[in-house]
Amino acid sequence: MKFRVERDVLAEAVAWAARSLPARPPVPVLAGLLLAADEGKLSLSGFDYEVSARVETEADVEEPGTVLVSGRLLADISRSLPNRPVEISTDGVRVIVVCGSSRFTLPTLPVDEYPALPQMPTVSGTVPGEAFAAAVAQVATAAGRDDTLPVLTGVRVEIEGDRVTLAATDRYRFAVRDLMWKPEQEGLSAVALVPAKTLLDTAKSLSAGDVVSIALAGSGKGEGLIGFEGAGRRTTTRLLEGEFPKFRALFPTEFNSVATVPTPAFVEAVKRVSLVAERNTPVRLSFEQGVLTLEAGSGDDAQATERVEADLEGDDISIAFNPAYLLDGLAAIDAAVAQLSFTTSTKPALLSGKHAPDAEADEAYKYLIMPVRLSG
Amino acid sequence: MSVWDDLVGQEQVVEQLVAAARSARVVLGESGRSGDSRNSGAEEQSGSSGMTHAWLFTGPPGSGMATAARAFAASLQCTSPDLELGGIPGCGFCEGCHTALIGSHADVESVRTDVLSIGVKETRELVRSASMSPAGGRWQVIILEDSDRLTEGAANVLLKAIEEPAPRTVWLLCAPSVEDALPTIRSRCRLLVLRTPPVAAVADVLVRRDGIEPEMAAFAARAAQGHIGRARRLALDAGARERRAEVLKLPLRVADLGACLAGAQSLVDAAAADAKQVAEEVDTRETEELRAALGAAAGVGGRMPRGTAGAMKELEDRQKRRATRTQRDSLDRALIDLSSFYRDVLAVQFGAAGELSNEEMRQAVERVAGESRPEATLRRIEAVLACRTALERNVAPLLAVEAMAVALRAG
Ligand SMILES: [Zn+2]
Repeated sequence: MKFRVERDVLAEAVAWAARSLPARPPVPVLAGLLLAADEGKLSLSGFDYEVSARVETEADVEEPGTVLVSGRLLADISRSLPNRPVEISTDGVRVIVVCGSSRFTLPTLPVDEYPALPQMPTVSGTVPGEAFAAAVAQVATAAGRDDTLPVLTGVRVEIEGDRVTLAATDRYRFAVRDLMWKPEQEGLSAVALVPAKTLLDTAKSLSAGDVVSIALAGSGKGEGLIGFEGAGRRTTTRLLEGEFPKFRALFPTEFNSVATVPTPAFVEAVKRVSLVAERNTPVRLSFEQGVLTLEAGSGDDAQATERVEADLEGDDISIAFNPAYLLDGLAAIDAAVAQLSFTTSTKPALLSGKHAPDAEADEAYKYLIMPVRLSG
Repeated sequence: MSVWDDLVGQEQVVEQLVAAARSARVVLGESGRSGDSRNSGAEEQSGSSGMTHAWLFTGPPGSGMATAARAFAASLQCTSPDLELGGIPGCGFCEGCHTALIGSHADVESVRTDVLSIGVKETRELVRSASMSPAGGRWQVIILEDSDRLTEGAANVLLKAIEEPAPRTVWLLCAPSVEDALPTIRSRCRLLVLRTPPVAAVADVLVRRDGIEPEMAAFAARAAQGHIGRARRLALDAGARERRAEVLKLPLRVADLGACLAGAQSLVDAAAADAKQVAEEVDTRETEELRAALGAAAGVGGRMPRGTAGAMKELEDRQKRRATRTQRDSLDRALIDLSSFYRDVLAVQFGAAGELSNEEMRQAVERVAGESRPEATLRRIEAVLACRTALERNVAPLLAVEAMAVALRAG
């Protein structure tokens, strides 16, 4: 194998592919990056059994070939190289990296021990990279972190024609985001449960691209894999199996009260009152016309009260939430004004965003939050 | 050279597993037919019933439970083109078989315990990966080599995953006997029982696979009493043979108390030396492989990149734990050798015809047989068993072995 490539191109590609390498490789070869050079292209691949990453760039290939080298070593070396063209070649069981006056020798790892990389499924459609990353971040915030309930550590991706719905829950809140996308074929319908942390990382790392292609295979048959591709970078992720809670029926459609609060003031007030509350103790919200009163702490504990200007339509209501979950939701709506809709103080409340007090609430993102029952 | 070749004297088990691997192919929508057309009708009828999500492999140590589980895992990942023509799943050559056998296949996870129990935390991690779809679109196989070492809490965590398996996840549990697995787990697994491989079959595989001289192979197979790994080591390693001979001198030395205690010490030492040698052979290679993969600078002791210390430390800890376990296993092997000696003594005392397990030591066996009565021999076998039990309960090795040596002396 022998090829030449620009230093920046190499360093960026190696850094990206090396992200997916496991810190504690279950077998040594998984610490390797697979370099394949052929027909003017260089590809670099890494795999940690759950996520595979592959990046392809242009290269001046003199002699095609495939080689496995330590990902960390190659990343360290390519970062430190001077800004000159880099020539990489094999010499027996070694790889030689030459750049300007620098020359490095790397040992190769056994390619035949390297596991087969997952096949990228056929592309199902595309979304703008930045919008996708933002949507995933809005939803992933509600995903569970408890590995004993693997289903809840995932983001459900539902594809129905030109609409993609993302949903996640940890049983205490439920986030759902709709976005439009460009399917490759009409009438496409598919579902997948993607590990939330992986989806978040992947969407972020592909956000620079104009479009991200989403490729979904074998949904529902247990052999599922989801692939993402943008700007020459592609990743595959194994899907989670299991029944995701049916969420559409959980979202109330009729309300007894609807409150509107400027988001920044709301957030500041929740943060301040929850300072006196012990971890995970609730913050109580009382809405009356024109004002929202927030309280935390009870009995002998320190008490805190805050008042925020708020608009209320419908009945006065007093309801309590876990402040962390409320703050997650207020951050996720990413809007100047927060709208909270209630049925009763023991039923979940619906949080959505508005860009102005008199605007319509954003229908694309909904955050359902379970209230905390207060004793007495 | 198929993946089944390393299973010695387990024809029935192999037959069941091959049938399951074939029906597993049918589940995937691939051809599951066998080359033998006479059987094809019956196989079609059995359909997918031959494949199931949870298996319990049992058998005496050394009979090849883990080997059988790995071979089955490989056969489920086999992608040999011959399969379409009715070939046996588990060709041993294709990428699927190869990476499954060497342990790097993405969808074959093998858990070996070096510690004495498998806890809730590790099991939760396994259950999480079990809830994912396979990376290669076939089956995700999880091999639990010491499922008898699951704590009760861990077994309960595992139970849920086995009760509601992901559609493409297969659990392969191994335990010495059915009784070693918790009843709740046992009842959800299909049971496969491996037998102690016959001496002739073990000798044959040593000749065939490892190129060992027939005479040496016959000796090693007999001495190892069906433990394939042990037989191989005895055949290949003169040091191991010497240490074994040293252990078997104990019955002749117990008459004198000083020699008896010295004998106990040398038995413990021999086991430690055995373990040390096994560890050295594996550890150095393992460490070098990981160092290279993590990007060590060239040359011995070359500098490691930042952030790799954790992985190296983890390997070191694992090697230490493994050394402890190997030492226990070696000591247990030595005690099994010792009890085989007394069983030979008993055979001579009862005038049984035929070959002894320790035929090469017939003179010593006959001497001890002549100097004692069968009742004493039985008590001595009991003493060896009691020592094994004590070691299982974590009694300090030298204490346990000394107590045994004194009991052997009393006769
Ligand atoms: Zn194969």
